[in-house]
Amino acid sequence: MEAYLVAMLVFAGFYALMALGLNVIWGLTGMVNLGLVGFFGLGAYASALLTTKLGWPMPLGWVAGALVAAIAGGVMALIVARLRGDYLAIVTLGFAEVTRLIASNEIWLTNGTDGISGIPGPWRGEVSPQGFNLIFLALVWATVAIAFVLLSRLSHAPFGRVLRAIREDQDVAAVAGKPVLWFKIRAFIIGACVTGMAGALYAHYNAYIAPEGFAPLLTIYIVLALTAGGVGSMRGAVVGALFVMALIEGTRFLAAEIPGVSPVQKAALREGIIALTLILLLRFRPQGLIPERTRTRSTT
Amino acid sequence: MEDWRDLAQVLLNGVMAGSVLMLPAIGFNCIFAVLRYPNFAVAGFATIGAFAGWVANAQWGMPAGLALLVAFLAAGAAGLLSEELALKPLRPAGPLTVAIASVALTILLENIIRFSFGNDLKGYDLPILRDWRFDGIRVSPQQLTNTAYAIGAAGALFALLAFTRLGRAMRAVADNPTLADIKGVDPDRIARVAVFIGAGLAGFGGMLIGLDTSIDPLTGFRVVLSVFAAAVVGGLGSIPGAALGAMVVGVGEEMAGVLLEPAYRTVTAFLAILLVLMFRPSGLLGARN
Amino acid sequence: MTKLNTTRRTALLGTAGALATFAIGGRAMAQNDPIRFGVLPPLTGAGGPYGPAMLRAIQQVVEEANAAGGVRGRPIRLFFEDDQTNPDAGVRGARKLIDVDRVQALMGTWASSVTTAVAPLCWENRVPLFTVSGADSITLLPHQGFIFRTQPNSRLQIATAGDWLAGKGARRIYHMAAQSPFAQSSQEVLTERMRAGGGVVSGFTIYEREKTAFRSEVDAIMRSRSDTVFLNGYLPDVTILLRELFRAGFDGRRFTMAYAANANTFQALPNEVTNGLITFQPSPDLNSGAFARLKNRFGATEVDPYSAQTNDHATMAILAAAQAGDASGTAIRDNVRRVTQGGGETVDNVTDGLRAITAGRAVNFDGASGPVSFDERGDIQGTKFRFEAAENGSFKLLELA
Repeated sequence: MEAYLVAMLVFAGFYALMALGLNVIWGLTGMVNLGLVGFFGLGAYASALLTTKLGWPMPLGWVAGALVAAIAGGVMALIVARLRGDYLAIVTLGFAEVTRLIASNEIWLTNGTDGISGIPGPWRGEVSPQGFNLIFLALVWATVAIAFVLLSRLSHAPFGRVLRAIREDQDVAAVAGKPVLWFKIRAFIIGACVTGMAGALYAHYNAYIAPEGFAPLLTIYIVLALTAGGVGSMRGAVVGALFVMALIEGTRFLAAEIPGVSPVQKAALREGIIALTLILLLRFRPQGLIPERTRTRSTT
Repeated sequence: MEDWRDLAQVLLNGVMAGSVLMLPAIGFNCIFAVLRYPNFAVAGFATIGAFAGWVANAQWGMPAGLALLVAFLAAGAAGLLSEELALKPLRPAGPLTVAIASVALTILLENIIRFSFGNDLKGYDLPILRDWRFDGIRVSPQQLTNTAYAIGAAGALFALLAFTRLGRAMRAVADNPTLADIKGVDPDRIARVAVFIGAGLAGFGGMLIGLDTSIDPLTGFRVVLSVFAAAVVGGLGSIPGAALGAMVVGVGEEMAGVLLEPAYRTVTAFLAILLVLMFRPSGLLGARN
Repeated sequence: MTKLNTTRRTALLGTAGALATFAIGGRAMAQNDPIRFGVLPPLTGAGGPYGPAMLRAIQQVVEEANAAGGVRGRPIRLFFEDDQTNPDAGVRGARKLIDVDRVQALMGTWASSVTTAVAPLCWENRVPLFTVSGADSITLLPHQGFIFRTQPNSRLQIATAGDWLAGKGARRIYHMAAQSPFAQSSQEVLTERMRAGGGVVSGFTIYEREKTAFRSEVDAIMRSRSDTVFLNGYLPDVTILLRELFRAGFDGRRFTMAYAANANTFQALPNEVTNGLITFQPSPDLNSGAFARLKNRFGATEVDPYSAQTNDHATMAILAAAQAGDASGTAIRDNVRRVTQGGGETVDNVTDGLRAITAGRAVNFDGASGPVSFDERGDIQGTKFRFEAAENGSFKLLELA
């Protein structure tokens, strides 16, 4: 049972990193990014390929994963920064789907839908499975802590204040002389970078990645995490991630109690409950569990 | 491509594909015209329609035409229900919140289908007919019937909008909601009708997609980008625009499928969305934004 | 069309299986620390028609072994997870079985993509993996002896198939392959065999497994003027391809692997579409005692090649643990060949084997899938193949090679 809990906490750590990343892009800057999983996937594939095909050492792979995602974030920001909010949602979703499509079909690069297996993990095989899980737990949450500290500081710094000003009313910010586009690009780069790092760590934890592991549903998990924790709040992002993990695993146990339910149905139940929770939260408590203290308006 | 016949085949396939894409796109634009937000749950409505039609056809033994009607009604009902329960209360929070909720909604609907029917592909109970060949170009009777159904449904909608009082009221609300309200048109009722029709058309289109191939819980989601592309290219909120946009996207995807790889058709849709939104956000026939 | 028959059968087998496992687990509360084996079958997905039976075969062997006193007094406890014929789900299931349930051997993976994804977890955690997957790349992995594959590898399969087709007059074969670890190597072998037989591979397409529409691919097949189409995919996509090829008016030879076209296909497609379809599979050893026993236990359900293999998986793992006197993964790995090909009295079931080993005698297990002997890479040696053709809703044997 403890092994199970440790694994769950590791995954919660990945979600926390992704939520922190999304918080910079959406929470602070107000740009809804439903393609978050694309950065996650890019980080995972970059690191996995560099370590398995080119033999790079793992830490270098992780950094590379974060960088690849960051670059993609910058490029994406250049393209979509000027779009209206709801259009941004579908365009970013489309970007993630296209990334997944390329990963599924460019077999020469990504091994297609068969995925990449045998991705190395720090001391995997040299310690017991439980030992490996604990090592990774420490690794992930150390990363979360560092990201949290850095991003919180960013959020309270002038940079963060400008982002929030852009979120509230970007025309006013522009009139005030701020290069709005450049700020948006940087926000995207930072958010994508953190998410890409999460993806790289995930690849090395799981030892296996495949395109279908990077489904839009994962982005919805993170949107839910942020909505539950309070959009804009870094602390809320981490709390929200833990909440989502508890929800996912709680529904797994719940589904296990219901007799006569097939594994596919259990999965459908879990995914459906996540989607439903998001809708309910948006409806009844959009400001989340830990509202942002510096908010001026209670909009999403 | 070797000769003109191959090009003709691609164009033909594209027009057929576009006509099937047309209905969910029209549904999307119908909802957008009246309610002013993008409802991405049309993907979920399409899947619901496809499965409702499948139950009617493969399990209750109805012929395809009747099953399509069932698809329309079931999807319309699902649309109306989800609008009233989930999306309408969110309207005050702005179109972005509703858009996010609509994505969550489509995932919820997809999983309801998955829970009820599983992940396996299902086919309709239809006779399998040989394709017709004209000088090396092949077209399947199923494709032709689908196109006929699609045109019929779209035509019915156009007639509704042009000739009935309800249709005129819908157009009034789409053009200028405040004025329509002053003139005594009940905006809530029109909204409900628009959602019902829009979701219903998406469901109708979902079943048409399935008639030609197979259905599974991801049927609707697979086409969501193409549907949005068609709606955007034609002009958001414009119903004739959606029809035109669907043709453009359909043919574009087929050409991309031949020039690149069949799997990359969705990339065309995505690029189309990007290009239109960046350079001509009002689309081909749209006027407002 | 309705899938009720298969679903009901699956549900029955599954429930019976669950009850059996519960019974086994209940008795495992006895004196000694139970031995833990894991099963990762495809209970749903493209391999869904086979998973429940594969699991059932293993459960029956374990029941029998426990009734005979277990492995030197220790009962065997079985854990299983559905891999959904999907590598992602397979990895999750394998992690649960290995990390949480701490199984000492893993059996029953079916799809090559699942096995490839799961294999590193197994050898890193020193858990032997018994699989029915065919891709040759699997035994080429650095598995340190932890993989045992009871299915002839894809090279051998495709070579046999290619030679047979060339012998029947095929000169232009179009190769339609679903993405899998064996797609590319199949193409290489097929090209080689066709060239030797005086023909060519007239086209080669790899497609994504979740594909539902094949219009442009079928257009390409028609344009290629091939006399044969080799449908190297899985049940869902091959069913759609058969339908599309019929619509397009393809009148050449259609050839596929037996797991991609079985009873389900007849339910989904009318006879005029399926008639003449040729299927191909490695054959279990129909004359062996082990197969006869398995057939007996399965009763009305037909024994598929995979259940015959998983029957052997369970038996081998149990006998190896008994031989070693130690049920750790490494001990099992080191003793599998001793009980399957190391000389000794021939046994074809787990009860006789356990009895002999406890009495100190050496055994040589001959199983339901064949004499079961592995080369150094973990590949099975010596299998027969069967070719069948679809005729009015059932398969008729064409040839046994």
